[in-house]
Amino acid sequence: MSYASIFKDETKLDINYTPLKLQHRNTQLQLLNQYFRHTIETSGKMTQRVIITGKVGTGKTVLTQHFGQNITREARQRNINLHYVHVNCRQNKGSFFLVLQQIVTQFHPTFPKRGYSAEELLQTLMQILDDQNIYLIVTLDELEPLIQNEGSEPLYKLSRIEETRTKTAKRLSLICILRDLSWLDNLDASTRSTLQSNIIQLDAYTKAQLQDILNDRVLLAFKQGTISTETITLAAELGEEEGGNARYSIELLWRAGKYADTEEIKEVSPEHIRKAAGNVYAGIRRDEIIALDFHKKLFLLGVARRFQQTMGVHLSMGEAEEAYTIACEEFDEKPRGHTQLWKYIQELSSLGVIKAELSTSGQRGKTTLIGLPRIAAVDLENELNKTLEQDRRGLA
Amino acid sequence: MIMVEDVFSSRGRVRILRILSEIGELNISEIARRARLNYTTTNEHLQVLERADLIMHKSFGRIRIYRFNEENAKARAIRDLMELWEQKNKYDIPKKVRNV
Repeated sequence: MSYASIFKDETKLDINYTPLKLQHRNTQLQLLNQYFRHTIETSGKMTQRVIITGKVGTGKTVLTQHFGQNITREARQRNINLHYVHVNCRQNKGSFFLVLQQIVTQFHPTFPKRGYSAEELLQTLMQILDDQNIYLIVTLDELEPLIQNEGSEPLYKLSRIEETRTKTAKRLSLICILRDLSWLDNLDASTRSTLQSNIIQLDAYTKAQLQDILNDRVLLAFKQGTISTETITLAAELGEEEGGNARYSIELLWRAGKYADTEEIKEVSPEHIRKAAGNVYAGIRRDEIIALDFHKKLFLLGVARRFQQTMGVHLSMGEAEEAYTIACEEFDEKPRGHTQLWKYIQELSSLGVIKAELSTSGQRGKTTLIGLPRIAAVDLENELNKTLEQDRRGLA
Repeated sequence: MIMVEDVFSSRGRVRILRILSEIGELNISEIARRARLNYTTTNEHLQVLERADLIMHKSFGRIRIYRFNEENAKARAIRDLMELWEQKNKYDIPKKVRNV
């Protein structure tokens, strides 16, 4: 007889899944509702700007998505044309233009992809809102790359645009999500002052809170009786040790379930969780690796392999370039040039996958030194091999 | 006034109508690309179709977005005809069988 999976619906453990029930973030949800009360009570009179901050896996995204669903539902009941758009700045390569384009295509899906500036696109967005009498709440998730790439400009324009529109209704409100508030120091004083009035801080989840979250997900994702309380407790404990990271705990559950399925065992054991913990690195998200360009993955693959050979702390730019070229040969790809690789290094460094610094003494001339502080090279290589193979199959 | 033969006498105009009735709305360059026409010709066709009230446009700065005019009865009738035509072709009896 063939083995039946222990999963009922593994998509409920996916990073993009928004649970129907929001656990342990109700105070913050209420606070958000209060901040945006005016959008449904006195639409068009004022706009709002809120910052949400907290470490990885503390529920920033899920909180705003919940809020978005709730407030648009309530607006519909009151016949107010309120929309909520959630944009991830990292996925949009930290580009203001791409962020705005994602927002505009919510209203005009076939809007041309090029031929105008970000400034024009912002004006277009406001025109659409006016024409169709739309009120809009935009959440800029993972704001850091946008600040890094474009500085104060995008946030200044988004937060101040309503000031120049004195005769029309106020339509555009903002929620900014970032892990670390110190990024705001990179903004100019006037932008900072417009943004910083409402800050919601999400603290790390405790073990008990993580357990509640995991219990909810287990009910949705696993078949009954396939996962014990002590297994869930262990996943919660490990999540707590990783800074109250719910995402990490959920990923542990998913991976542990996969191990159980592979072994054709009908119950996920604590041992499966421990095995998963050895393979899931909390600091780097699997989806971040998967989302990388093909050549960035090849570059990382080269770097990960070279680190395993050298066992050193750093690689020089030259060594990394050489390792990347070998990876390219293996995948029958033409290697990108030096400048492009340098850009890759900057981007991967801002993503936190690698650490790039300039060499100081002890080396002739100056070179970029690459470190791999947050993940074991062997784990990174395994992860990349899997995703590159999938990419290759996808391309074929 | 735009006569019915003015609309249907041009292959390009019919192609544009079909594209817009299927997609809903598009900018000129994209219409030109899909209809395999050059920009100027597309622009001229669009103006004729707009004068006939079959399509309308909206300007966002330099960008003009054209869309099928759902509110116009003639436009709706043309779309129905196009859909019917596609269906007809699909269920057409092959010539050989007809001759038998």
